[in-house]
Amino acid sequence: MISFPLFRQTLKSNYKFFIIFLLILTMYFSVIITMYDPINVESMQLLLQSLPKEVVNAMNFNLIGSTFTGFLASYLYGFLIIVFPMIYTIILTNRLIAKHIDNGSMAYLLASPNSRKKVVFTQMIYLVTSIILLMGSLFVLAYIIAEIAYPGLIDVRTFVILNFGALLLHLAIGSIAFLSSCIFNDSKDSLAFGAGIPILFFLIQMLGNVGDKLSFLKNFTLFSIFNPQSILEGSASVPISFAALFIIAALLYAAGIFIFNKKDLPI
Amino acid sequence: MGGMTLSILEVNELTKDYGNHKGIFNITFSMDERDVFGYLGPNGAGKTTNLRCLMGFLNPNHRNCLIMGMDCRLEQENIQKNIGYLPEEIAFFDEMTGDNFLDLMASMRNLKHMERRIQLVDRFQLDTMGKIRKMSKGMKQKLAIVSAFMHDPKVYILDEPTAGLDPLMQNVFVELILEEKKKGKTILMSSHNFEEVSRTCNKVGIIRDGNLVAVEEIHSLLSVQKKNYFITFTSNEDANAFLKMIPDSRMAGELVVETWITGDMNSLIKTMGQFNVRDIQVSSRNLEEVFMRYYGGGSHD
Repeated sequence: MISFPLFRQTLKSNYKFFIIFLLILTMYFSVIITMYDPINVESMQLLLQSLPKEVVNAMNFNLIGSTFTGFLASYLYGFLIIVFPMIYTIILTNRLIAKHIDNGSMAYLLASPNSRKKVVFTQMIYLVTSIILLMGSLFVLAYIIAEIAYPGLIDVRTFVILNFGALLLHLAIGSIAFLSSCIFNDSKDSLAFGAGIPILFFLIQMLGNVGDKLSFLKNFTLFSIFNPQSILEGSASVPISFAALFIIAALLYAAGIFIFNKKDLPI
Repeated sequence: MGGMTLSILEVNELTKDYGNHKGIFNITFSMDERDVFGYLGPNGAGKTTNLRCLMGFLNPNHRNCLIMGMDCRLEQENIQKNIGYLPEEIAFFDEMTGDNFLDLMASMRNLKHMERRIQLVDRFQLDTMGKIRKMSKGMKQKLAIVSAFMHDPKVYILDEPTAGLDPLMQNVFVELILEEKKKGKTILMSSHNFEEVSRTCNKVGIIRDGNLVAVEEIHSLLSVQKKNYFITFTSNEDANAFLKMIPDSRMAGELVVETWITGDMNSLIKTMGQFNVRDIQVSSRNLEEVFMRYYGGGSHD
Protein backbone atom coordinates (compact mmCIF):
# COMPACT_ATOMS: atom_id res chain seq x y z
CA MET A 1 0.00 0.00 0.00
CA ILE A 2 2.99 2.31 0.36
CA SER A 3 5.91 2.77 -2.03
CA PHE A 4 9.10 3.02 0.01
CA PRO A 5 11.26 4.31 -2.84
CA LEU A 6 8.80 7.15 -3.36
CA PHE A 7 8.62 7.81 0.37
CA ARG A 8 12.41 8.04 0.54
CA GLN A 9 12.44 10.43 -2.40
CA THR A 10 9.71 12.60 -0.87
CA LEU A 11 11.63 12.69 2.39
CA LYS A 12 14.81 13.65 0.57
CA SER A 13 13.24 16.57 -1.25
CA ASN A 14 11.24 17.87 1.72
CA TYR A 15 13.24 17.34 4.91
CA LYS A 16 15.01 20.70 4.67
CA PHE A 17 11.66 22.40 4.48
CA PHE A 18 10.66 20.58 7.69
CA ILE A 19 13.84 21.62 9.47
CA ILE A 20 13.40 25.27 8.52
CA PHE A 21 9.93 25.36 10.03
CA LEU A 22 11.05 23.51 13.10
CA LEU A 23 13.90 25.98 13.62
CA ILE A 24 11.68 29.03 13.21
CA LEU A 25 9.18 27.61 15.65
CA THR A 26 11.89 26.60 18.10
CA MET A 27 13.10 30.17 18.14
CA TYR A 28 9.65 31.59 18.79
CA PHE A 29 8.94 28.97 21.41
CA SER A 30 12.10 29.68 23.37
CA VAL A 31 11.43 33.40 23.34
CA ILE A 32 7.79 33.21 24.31
CA ILE A 33 8.07 30.52 26.96
CA THR A 34 10.87 32.31 28.77
CA MET A 35 8.85 35.54 28.62
CA TYR A 36 6.59 34.10 31.31
CA ASP A 37 7.27 35.61 34.66
CA PRO A 38 5.10 34.22 37.45
CA ILE A 39 5.45 37.35 39.53
CA ASN A 40 4.74 39.68 36.70
CA VAL A 41 1.65 38.10 35.20
CA GLU A 42 -0.28 41.06 36.44
CA SER A 43 2.02 43.51 34.73
CA MET A 44 1.68 41.43 31.55
CA GLN A 45 -2.05 41.82 31.81
CA LEU A 46 -1.63 45.54 32.34
CA LEU A 47 0.51 45.64 29.22
CA LEU A 48 -2.18 43.80 27.27
CA GLN A 49 -4.79 46.24 28.54
CA SER A 50 -2.74 49.07 27.14
CA LEU A 51 -2.96 47.52 23.67
CA PRO A 52 -6.12 47.96 21.58
CA LYS A 53 -8.61 45.37 22.76
CA GLU A 54 -9.34 44.22 19.19
CA VAL A 55 -5.72 43.30 18.55
CA VAL A 56 -5.48 41.29 21.74
CA ASN A 57 -8.70 39.48 20.98
CA ALA A 58 -7.83 38.75 17.38
CA MET A 59 -4.61 37.07 18.46
CA ASN A 60 -6.57 35.07 20.99
CA PHE A 61 -4.34 36.34 23.81
CA ASN A 62 -7.31 37.24 25.96
CA LEU A 63 -7.91 34.03 27.83
CA ILE A 64 -4.76 34.40 29.81
CA GLY A 65 -4.99 32.69 33.14
CA SER A 66 -2.54 33.31 35.87
CA THR A 67 -1.13 29.77 35.56
CA PHE A 68 1.88 28.90 33.44
CA THR A 69 -0.12 26.40 31.38
CA GLY A 70 -2.77 29.06 30.82
CA PHE A 71 -0.07 31.43 29.65
CA LEU A 72 1.20 28.83 27.15
CA ALA A 73 -2.32 27.99 26.03
CA SER A 74 -3.03 31.56 25.08
CA TYR A 75 0.33 32.70 23.75
CA LEU A 76 1.47 29.57 21.92
CA TYR A 77 -1.69 27.60 21.21
CA GLY A 78 -3.91 30.57 20.45
CA PHE A 79 -1.93 31.87 17.51
CA LEU A 80 1.63 30.75 16.87
CA ILE A 81 1.11 27.04 16.89
CA ILE A 82 -1.85 27.47 14.60
CA VAL A 83 -0.42 29.81 12.00
CA PHE A 84 3.08 28.46 11.41
CA PRO A 85 2.32 24.75 11.13
CA MET A 86 -0.68 25.71 8.98
CA ILE A 87 1.63 27.41 6.49
CA TYR A 88 3.93 24.40 6.62
CA THR A 89 1.09 21.98 5.93
CA ILE A 90 -0.34 23.99 3.05
CA ILE A 91 2.95 24.42 1.23
CA LEU A 92 4.03 20.84 1.83
CA THR A 93 0.78 19.36 0.56
CA ASN A 94 1.05 21.31 -2.64
CA ARG A 95 4.59 20.01 -3.14
CA LEU A 96 3.48 16.44 -2.54
CA ILE A 97 0.80 16.07 -5.21
CA ALA A 98 -0.31 19.07 -7.24
CA LYS A 99 3.25 20.04 -8.13
CA HIS A 100 3.96 16.58 -9.53
CA ILE A 101 0.95 16.85 -11.82
CA ASP A 102 1.67 20.44 -12.73
CA ASN A 103 5.23 19.77 -13.86
CA GLY A 104 4.58 16.34 -15.32
CA SER A 105 6.73 14.26 -12.99
CA MET A 106 3.61 12.34 -11.92
CA ALA A 107 3.73 10.70 -15.37
CA TYR A 108 7.00 9.01 -14.44
CA LEU A 109 5.74 7.90 -11.05
CA LEU A 110 2.61 6.37 -12.57
CA ALA A 111 4.51 4.84 -15.49
CA SER A 112 6.08 2.54 -12.92
CA PRO A 113 4.11 -0.49 -11.75
CA ASN A 114 2.60 1.41 -8.81
CA SER A 115 -1.10 2.18 -8.69
CA ARG A 116 -2.38 5.72 -8.32
CA LYS A 117 -3.76 4.74 -4.93
CA LYS A 118 -0.35 3.60 -3.78
CA VAL A 119 1.40 6.76 -5.01
CA VAL A 120 -1.10 9.16 -3.47
CA PHE A 121 -1.35 7.12 -0.25
CA THR A 122 2.43 7.26 0.10
CA GLN A 123 2.32 11.04 -0.21
CA MET A 124 -0.47 11.21 2.35
CA ILE A 125 1.53 9.08 4.77
CA TYR A 126 4.43 11.48 4.39
CA LEU A 127 2.16 14.45 5.06
CA VAL A 128 0.59 12.88 8.15
CA THR A 129 3.91 11.61 9.49
CA SER A 130 5.57 14.98 9.07
CA ILE A 131 2.70 16.81 10.79
CA ILE A 132 2.89 14.35 13.69
CA LEU A 133 6.66 14.78 13.86
CA LEU A 134 6.46 18.56 13.71
CA MET A 135 3.81 18.82 16.43
CA GLY A 136 5.50 16.08 18.46
CA SER A 137 8.86 17.87 18.31
CA LEU A 138 7.23 21.13 19.31
CA PHE A 139 5.54 19.45 22.26
CA VAL A 140 8.78 17.91 23.50
CA LEU A 141 10.64 21.14 22.87
CA ALA A 142 8.13 23.30 24.68
CA TYR A 143 8.09 20.86 27.57
CA ILE A 144 11.88 20.82 27.89
CA ILE A 145 12.19 24.60 27.66
CA ALA A 146 9.39 25.02 30.20
CA GLU A 147 10.95 22.55 32.64
CA ILE A 148 14.33 24.21 32.36
CA ALA A 149 12.95 27.72 32.76
CA TYR A 150 10.31 26.99 35.39
CA PRO A 151 10.77 23.47 36.82
CA GLY A 152 7.55 21.79 37.93
CA LEU A 153 5.33 24.69 37.00
CA ILE A 154 3.66 23.15 33.97
CA ASP A 155 0.42 21.19 34.29
CA VAL A 156 1.57 18.17 32.28
CA ARG A 157 -1.82 16.54 31.79
CA THR A 158 -3.48 19.68 30.43
CA PHE A 159 -0.44 20.47 28.34
CA VAL A 160 -0.51 17.01 26.72
CA ILE A 161 -4.20 17.36 25.90
CA LEU A 162 -3.56 20.82 24.48
CA ASN A 163 -0.88 19.45 22.19
CA PHE A 164 -2.92 16.48 21.14
CA GLY A 165 -5.74 18.83 20.16
CA ALA A 166 -3.38 21.03 18.17
CA LEU A 167 -2.10 17.93 16.37
CA LEU A 168 -5.63 16.87 15.43
CA LEU A 169 -6.38 20.40 14.25
CA HIS A 170 -3.38 20.34 11.92
CA LEU A 171 -4.20 16.90 10.61
CA ALA A 172 -7.62 18.32 9.72
CA ILE A 173 -6.10 21.41 8.06
CA GLY A 174 -3.77 19.05 6.19
CA SER A 175 -6.75 17.04 5.00
CA ILE A 176 -8.34 20.13 3.43
CA ALA A 177 -5.12 20.98 1.61
CA PHE A 178 -4.69 17.32 0.63
CA LEU A 179 -8.20 17.03 -0.79
CA SER A 180 -7.70 20.23 -2.75
CA SER A 181 -4.40 18.96 -4.10
CA CYS A 182 -6.11 15.75 -5.21
CA ILE A 183 -8.97 17.55 -6.93
CA PHE A 184 -7.09 20.25 -8.83
CA ASN A 185 -4.45 19.65 -11.47
CA ASP A 186 -2.97 23.11 -11.42
CA SER A 187 -0.68 24.05 -8.57
CA LYS A 188 -2.38 27.45 -8.65
CA ASP A 189 -5.90 26.13 -8.14
CA SER A 190 -4.78 23.59 -5.61
CA LEU A 191 -3.14 26.33 -3.56
CA ALA A 192 -6.07 28.71 -3.98
CA PHE A 193 -8.40 26.26 -2.28
CA GLY A 194 -5.98 24.30 -0.13
CA ALA A 195 -4.59 27.51 1.36
CA GLY A 196 -7.64 29.70 0.81
CA ILE A 197 -10.08 27.68 2.89
CA PRO A 198 -7.89 27.32 6.02
CA ILE A 199 -6.80 30.97 5.81
CA LEU A 200 -10.40 32.09 5.38
CA PHE A 201 -11.35 30.02 8.43
CA PHE A 202 -8.55 31.61 10.32
CA LEU A 203 -9.55 35.16 9.36
CA ILE A 204 -13.14 34.46 10.29
CA GLN A 205 -11.93 33.16 13.63
CA MET A 206 -9.92 36.34 14.25
CA LEU A 207 -12.84 38.55 13.21
CA GLY A 208 -15.19 36.50 15.35
CA ASN A 209 -12.95 37.04 18.36
CA VAL A 210 -12.99 40.79 17.91
CA GLY A 211 -16.57 41.84 17.52
CA ASP A 212 -19.72 40.59 19.17
CA LYS A 213 -21.68 41.07 15.98
CA LEU A 214 -19.43 38.77 14.02
CA SER A 215 -18.73 36.31 16.79
CA PHE A 216 -21.40 33.90 15.52
CA LEU A 217 -19.26 33.37 12.40
CA LYS A 218 -16.49 31.65 14.24
CA ASN A 219 -18.75 28.73 15.05
CA PHE A 220 -18.51 27.70 11.42
CA THR A 221 -14.77 27.21 11.17
CA LEU A 222 -12.46 24.35 11.85
CA PHE A 223 -10.67 26.44 14.47
CA SER A 224 -13.73 26.74 16.63
CA ILE A 225 -13.53 22.99 17.24
CA PHE A 226 -10.08 23.37 18.78
CA ASN A 227 -10.63 25.52 21.80
CA PRO A 228 -7.67 25.99 24.19
CA GLN A 229 -9.95 27.60 26.76
CA SER A 230 -12.24 24.61 27.15
CA ILE A 231 -9.19 22.36 27.34
CA LEU A 232 -7.85 24.49 30.21
CA GLU A 233 -11.19 24.33 31.92
CA GLY A 234 -11.32 20.56 31.41
CA SER A 235 -14.68 20.92 29.67
CA ALA A 236 -16.68 17.79 28.83
CA SER A 237 -16.91 18.88 25.19
CA VAL A 238 -13.20 18.31 24.61
CA PRO A 239 -13.33 14.59 23.71
CA ILE A 240 -16.22 15.27 21.34
CA SER A 241 -14.38 18.06 19.56
CA PHE A 242 -11.28 15.87 19.26
CA ALA A 243 -13.36 13.08 17.76
CA ALA A 244 -14.91 15.58 15.35
CA LEU A 245 -11.49 16.78 14.16
CA PHE A 246 -10.36 13.19 13.73
CA ILE A 247 -13.43 12.22 11.72
CA ILE A 248 -13.19 15.30 9.48
CA ALA A 249 -9.54 14.54 8.78
CA ALA A 250 -10.13 10.84 8.10
CA LEU A 251 -13.03 11.56 5.74
CA LEU A 252 -11.20 14.23 3.76
CA TYR A 253 -8.03 12.13 3.37
CA ALA A 254 -10.13 9.21 2.16
CA ALA A 255 -12.05 11.47 -0.21
CA GLY A 256 -8.77 12.82 -1.62
CA ILE A 257 -7.46 9.33 -2.37
CA PHE A 258 -10.79 8.31 -3.90
CA ILE A 259 -10.93 11.34 -6.17
CA PHE A 260 -7.31 11.10 -7.23
CA ASN A 261 -7.86 7.48 -8.14
CA LYS A 262 -10.86 8.28 -10.34
CA LYS A 263 -10.00 11.50 -12.11
CA ASP A 264 -8.44 12.30 -15.47
CA LEU A 265 -4.77 13.14 -15.15
CA PRO A 266 -3.45 15.61 -17.71
CA ILE A 267 0.07 14.26 -17.55
CA MET B 1 -8.45 -21.32 -38.01
CA GLY B 2 -5.41 -22.01 -35.90
CA GLY B 3 -6.23 -20.69 -32.45
CA MET B 4 -6.87 -17.05 -31.58
CA THR B 5 -3.83 -14.86 -31.65
CA LEU B 6 -4.22 -12.16 -29.04
CA SER B 7 -3.09 -8.72 -30.04
CA ILE B 8 -0.52 -7.19 -27.73
CA LEU B 9 -2.18 -3.82 -27.88
CA GLU B 10 -5.77 -3.12 -28.79
CA VAL B 11 -7.64 0.14 -29.05
CA ASN B 12 -11.38 -0.49 -29.29
CA GLU B 13 -13.70 2.30 -30.41
CA LEU B 14 -11.85 4.48 -27.94
CA THR B 15 -13.49 7.84 -27.33
CA LYS B 16 -12.36 10.63 -25.04
CA ASP B 17 -14.55 13.64 -25.63
CA TYR B 18 -13.44 16.97 -24.17
CA GLY B 19 -16.36 18.75 -25.79
CA ASN B 20 -16.10 21.33 -28.52
CA HIS B 21 -14.92 18.62 -30.96
CA LYS B 22 -11.74 18.24 -28.95
CA GLY B 23 -10.58 14.78 -28.02
CA ILE B 24 -10.42 11.46 -29.82
CA PHE B 25 -13.38 9.70 -31.34
CA ASN B 26 -14.08 6.06 -31.99
CA ILE B 27 -10.47 5.05 -32.54
CA THR B 28 -9.78 1.41 -33.33
CA PHE B 29 -6.51 -0.29 -34.17
CA SER B 30 -4.40 -3.14 -32.88
CA MET B 31 -0.76 -4.15 -32.76
CA ASP B 32 0.98 -7.51 -32.63
CA GLU B 33 4.46 -8.53 -31.62
CA ARG B 34 7.16 -6.88 -33.71
CA ASP B 35 4.79 -4.16 -34.83
CA VAL B 36 6.27 -0.71 -34.83
CA PHE B 37 3.41 1.71 -35.23
CA GLY B 38 4.05 5.33 -36.11
CA TYR B 39 1.32 7.67 -34.96
CA LEU B 40 1.21 10.73 -37.15
CA GLY B 41 -0.86 13.85 -37.12
CA PRO B 42 -0.66 17.57 -36.53
CA ASN B 43 -0.22 18.94 -33.02
CA GLY B 44 -3.49 18.79 -31.14
CA ALA B 45 -4.92 16.02 -33.31
CA GLY B 46 -5.19 13.65 -30.36
CA LYS B 47 -2.03 11.51 -30.43
CA THR B 48 -1.07 12.33 -26.87
CA THR B 49 -4.64 11.87 -25.63
CA ASN B 50 -4.62 8.38 -27.14
CA LEU B 51 -1.27 7.54 -25.55
CA ARG B 52 -2.48 8.83 -22.18
CA CYS B 53 -5.50 6.53 -22.40
CA LEU B 54 -3.10 3.64 -23.04
CA MET B 55 -1.19 4.66 -19.92
CA GLY B 56 -4.38 4.67 -17.85
CA PHE B 57 -4.16 8.38 -17.07
CA LEU B 58 -7.53 9.24 -18.63
CA ASN B 59 -11.01 7.76 -18.32
CA PRO B 60 -12.42 7.00 -21.78
CA ASN B 61 -16.01 8.05 -22.48
CA HIS B 62 -16.56 5.00 -24.63
CA ARG B 63 -15.03 1.51 -24.77
CA ASN B 64 -11.40 0.97 -23.89
CA CYS B 65 -7.87 0.04 -24.77
CA LEU B 66 -6.16 -3.18 -23.77
CA ILE B 67 -2.52 -4.12 -23.44
CA MET B 68 -1.75 -7.82 -23.21
CA GLY B 69 -5.46 -8.38 -22.67
CA MET B 70 -5.71 -6.06 -19.65
CA ASP B 71 -7.79 -2.89 -19.49
CA CYS B 72 -5.43 0.07 -19.48
CA ARG B 73 -7.49 2.15 -17.07
CA LEU B 74 -8.43 -0.58 -14.60
CA GLU B 75 -5.24 -2.62 -14.50
CA GLN B 76 -2.68 0.13 -14.92
CA GLU B 77 -0.48 -1.22 -12.14
CA ASN B 78 -0.11 -4.68 -13.72
CA ILE B 79 0.29 -3.42 -17.25
CA GLN B 80 3.09 -1.00 -16.33
CA LYS B 81 5.40 -3.89 -15.49
CA ASN B 82 5.67 -4.52 -19.22
CA ILE B 83 5.65 -0.97 -20.53
CA GLY B 84 8.33 1.55 -21.27
CA TYR B 85 6.79 5.01 -21.45
CA LEU B 86 8.26 8.22 -22.67
CA PRO B 87 6.00 11.19 -21.97
CA GLU B 88 5.76 14.26 -24.13
CA GLU B 89 6.61 16.58 -21.25
CA ILE B 90 10.24 16.48 -20.29
CA ALA B 91 10.12 18.67 -17.21
CA PHE B 92 10.59 16.52 -14.14
CA PHE B 93 12.26 16.27 -10.73
CA ASP B 94 14.37 19.34 -11.34
CA GLU B 95 16.37 19.16 -8.17
CA MET B 96 17.58 15.60 -8.79
CA THR B 97 20.64 14.50 -10.71
CA GLY B 98 20.24 12.18 -13.68
CA ASP B 99 21.54 9.30 -11.59
CA ASN B 100 19.13 10.06 -8.73
CA PHE B 101 16.26 10.05 -11.17
CA LEU B 102 17.25 6.75 -12.77
CA ASP B 103 17.80 5.26 -9.30
CA LEU B 104 14.32 6.35 -8.27
CA MET B 105 12.73 4.91 -11.39
CA ALA B 106 14.68 1.68 -11.01
CA SER B 107 13.67 1.28 -7.39
CA MET B 108 10.03 2.08 -8.14
CA ARG B 109 10.19 -0.71 -10.71
CA ASN B 110 12.02 -2.96 -8.31
CA LEU B 111 14.70 -3.24 -10.98
CA LYS B 112 17.89 -4.89 -9.76
CA HIS B 113 19.92 -5.33 -12.94
CA MET B 114 21.70 -2.19 -14.01
CA GLU B 115 23.70 -3.51 -17.02
CA ARG B 116 21.16 -2.33 -19.55
CA ARG B 117 20.92 1.07 -17.93
CA ILE B 118 24.69 1.45 -18.04
CA GLN B 119 24.74 0.40 -21.70
CA LEU B 120 22.02 2.88 -22.61
CA VAL B 121 23.66 5.76 -20.75
CA ASP B 122 26.86 4.94 -22.56
CA ARG B 123 25.20 4.60 -25.93
CA PHE B 124 23.45 7.95 -25.72
CA GLN B 125 26.54 9.61 -24.23
CA LEU B 126 24.43 10.82 -21.37
CA ASP B 127 26.01 12.67 -18.49
CA THR B 128 24.00 11.51 -15.50
CA MET B 129 25.97 13.36 -12.83
CA GLY B 130 24.46 16.80 -13.32
CA LYS B 131 21.25 18.24 -11.96
CA ILE B 132 18.29 17.78 -14.28
CA ARG B 133 17.45 21.49 -13.95
CA LYS B 134 20.72 22.36 -15.67
CA MET B 135 20.40 19.84 -18.50
CA SER B 136 19.69 20.84 -22.09
CA LYS B 137 16.46 19.74 -23.74
CA GLY B 138 18.31 17.03 -25.66
CA MET B 139 19.97 15.75 -22.51
CA LYS B 140 16.64 15.54 -20.69
CA GLN B 141 15.19 13.68 -23.65
CA LYS B 142 18.02 11.13 -23.52
CA LEU B 143 17.40 10.69 -19.82
CA ALA B 144 13.72 10.02 -20.51
CA ILE B 145 14.71 7.48 -23.18
CA VAL B 146 17.01 5.62 -20.79
CA SER B 147 14.26 5.59 -18.18
CA ALA B 148 11.77 4.15 -20.69
CA PHE B 149 14.13 1.46 -22.00
CA MET B 150 16.22 0.38 -19.02
CA HIS B 151 13.86 -2.30 -17.69
CA ASP B 152 13.66 -4.09 -21.04
CA PRO B 153 9.84 -3.95 -21.31
CA LYS B 154 7.75 -5.85 -23.87
CA VAL B 155 5.80 -2.82 -25.05
CA TYR B 156 6.96 0.74 -25.66
CA ILE B 157 4.73 3.79 -25.72
CA LEU B 158 6.79 6.73 -26.87
CA ASP B 159 5.45 10.26 -27.30
CA GLU B 160 7.73 12.11 -29.72
CA PRO B 161 10.83 10.25 -28.58
CA THR B 162 13.39 12.14 -30.63
CA ALA B 163 12.16 15.67 -29.95
CA GLY B 164 15.21 17.75 -29.09
CA LEU B 165 17.79 15.14 -30.16
CA ASP B 166 20.52 16.04 -32.62
CA PRO B 167 20.70 13.99 -35.88
CA LEU B 168 23.48 11.78 -34.53
CA MET B 169 21.44 10.83 -31.50
CA GLN B 170 18.30 10.40 -33.60
CA ASN B 171 20.28 7.81 -35.48
CA VAL B 172 21.31 6.05 -32.27
CA PHE B 173 17.67 6.02 -31.30
CA VAL B 174 16.52 4.55 -34.63
CA GLU B 175 19.10 1.77 -34.27
CA LEU B 176 17.85 1.05 -30.77
CA ILE B 177 14.26 0.78 -32.03
CA LEU B 178 15.30 -1.59 -34.80
CA GLU B 179 17.08 -3.82 -32.27
CA GLU B 180 14.04 -3.89 -30.03
CA LYS B 181 11.84 -4.72 -33.00
CA LYS B 182 14.12 -7.66 -33.81
CA LYS B 183 13.70 -8.88 -30.24
CA GLY B 184 9.94 -9.04 -30.83
CA LYS B 185 8.94 -5.90 -28.95
CA THR B 186 5.81 -3.95 -29.74
CA ILE B 187 6.42 -0.25 -30.21
CA LEU B 188 3.94 2.58 -30.54
CA MET B 189 5.36 6.02 -31.12
CA SER B 190 4.08 9.38 -32.14
CA SER B 191 6.43 11.38 -34.27
CA HIS B 192 6.98 14.23 -36.68
CA ASN B 193 10.25 12.86 -37.95
CA PHE B 194 10.20 11.42 -41.47
CA GLU B 195 13.52 9.62 -41.22
CA GLU B 196 12.63 8.00 -37.96
CA VAL B 197 9.19 6.80 -39.01
CA SER B 198 10.16 5.53 -42.44
CA ARG B 199 13.19 3.68 -41.07
CA THR B 200 11.52 2.08 -38.07
CA CYS B 201 7.79 1.70 -38.52
CA ASN B 202 5.98 -1.00 -40.46
CA LYS B 203 2.58 0.58 -39.88
CA VAL B 204 1.48 4.16 -39.76
CA GLY B 205 -1.70 5.58 -38.29
CA ILE B 206 -2.83 9.03 -39.28
CA ILE B 207 -4.96 10.98 -36.86
CA ARG B 208 -6.71 14.18 -37.69
CA ASP B 209 -9.07 16.21 -35.50
CA GLY B 210 -9.37 13.24 -33.18
CA ASN B 211 -10.28 10.76 -35.90
CA LEU B 212 -8.05 7.99 -37.12
CA VAL B 213 -8.14 8.67 -40.86
CA ALA B 214 -6.06 5.73 -41.98
CA VAL B 215 -3.88 2.87 -40.83
CA GLU B 216 -1.50 1.82 -43.58
CA GLU B 217 1.55 -0.30 -44.17
CA ILE B 218 4.51 2.03 -44.43
CA HIS B 219 5.45 0.73 -47.90
CA SER B 220 2.17 1.66 -49.46
CA LEU B 221 2.47 5.12 -48.00
CA LEU B 222 6.03 5.60 -49.16
CA SER B 223 4.97 4.66 -52.65
CA VAL B 224 2.59 7.60 -52.78
CA GLN B 225 5.11 10.02 -51.38
CA LYS B 226 5.84 12.86 -53.73
CA LYS B 227 9.49 13.76 -54.15
CA ASN B 228 10.92 16.87 -55.71
CA TYR B 229 14.09 16.65 -57.82
CA PHE B 230 16.22 19.62 -58.71
CA ILE B 231 18.19 18.78 -61.84
CA THR B 232 21.01 21.02 -62.99
CA PHE B 233 21.83 20.80 -66.70
CA THR B 234 24.96 21.93 -68.48
CA SER B 235 23.14 24.03 -71.09
CA ASN B 236 19.91 25.98 -71.52
CA GLU B 237 19.01 23.91 -74.56
CA ASP B 238 19.06 20.73 -72.51
CA ALA B 239 17.02 22.29 -69.76
CA ASN B 240 14.36 23.55 -72.16
CA ALA B 241 14.17 20.26 -74.03
CA PHE B 242 13.77 18.43 -70.73
CA LEU B 243 10.99 20.81 -69.67
CA LYS B 244 9.04 19.94 -72.79
CA MET B 245 9.38 16.20 -72.26
CA ILE B 246 8.31 16.09 -68.61
CA PRO B 247 4.94 17.70 -67.93
CA ASP B 248 5.29 18.07 -64.10
CA SER B 249 8.31 20.36 -64.20
CA ARG B 250 9.32 24.00 -64.14
CA MET B 251 12.43 26.16 -64.23
CA ALA B 252 13.75 26.67 -60.72
CA GLY B 253 16.84 28.73 -61.48
CA GLU B 254 19.74 29.14 -63.90
CA LEU B 255 20.01 25.75 -65.65
CA VAL B 256 17.96 24.17 -62.87
CA VAL B 257 14.70 22.35 -63.46
CA GLU B 258 12.41 21.18 -60.69
CA THR B 259 10.27 18.13 -61.23
CA TRP B 260 8.09 16.08 -58.93
CA ILE B 261 7.16 12.43 -59.07
CA THR B 262 5.16 10.00 -57.04
CA GLY B 263 6.24 6.37 -56.98
CA ASP B 264 7.98 4.99 -60.07
CA MET B 265 10.96 7.04 -61.19
CA ASN B 266 12.19 4.95 -64.14
CA SER B 267 10.83 7.30 -66.77
CA LEU B 268 12.60 10.24 -65.13
CA ILE B 269 15.93 8.41 -65.17
CA LYS B 270 15.49 7.43 -68.80
CA THR B 271 14.65 10.98 -69.80
CA MET B 272 17.60 12.40 -67.89
CA GLY B 273 19.89 9.94 -69.63
CA GLN B 274 19.37 11.80 -72.90
CA PHE B 275 20.95 14.98 -71.55
CA ASN B 276 24.10 16.22 -69.88
CA VAL B 277 23.24 16.43 -66.21
CA ARG B 278 25.60 18.16 -63.81
CA ASP B 279 23.77 17.62 -60.52
CA ILE B 280 20.61 16.17 -58.94
CA GLN B 281 19.17 17.10 -55.60
CA VAL B 282 16.23 15.36 -53.98
CA SER B 283 13.98 16.96 -51.45
CA SER B 284 11.29 14.86 -49.88
CA ARG B 285 8.47 16.73 -48.28
CA ASN B 286 7.66 16.19 -44.67
CA LEU B 287 6.04 12.78 -44.36
CA GLU B 288 3.19 14.09 -42.35
CA GLU B 289 2.41 16.85 -44.78
CA VAL B 290 2.41 14.37 -47.62
CA PHE B 291 0.09 12.00 -45.81
CA MET B 292 -2.16 14.79 -44.68
CA ARG B 293 -2.61 15.95 -48.24
CA TYR B 294 -3.23 12.42 -49.33
CA TYR B 295 -5.89 11.69 -46.75
CA GLY B 296 -7.11 14.94 -45.39
CA GLY B 297 -8.86 16.56 -48.33
CA GLY B 298 -6.48 19.48 -48.16
CA SER B 299 -8.07 21.70 -45.54
CA HIS B 300 -4.60 22.44 -44.18
CA ASP B 301 -3.24 23.57 -47.53
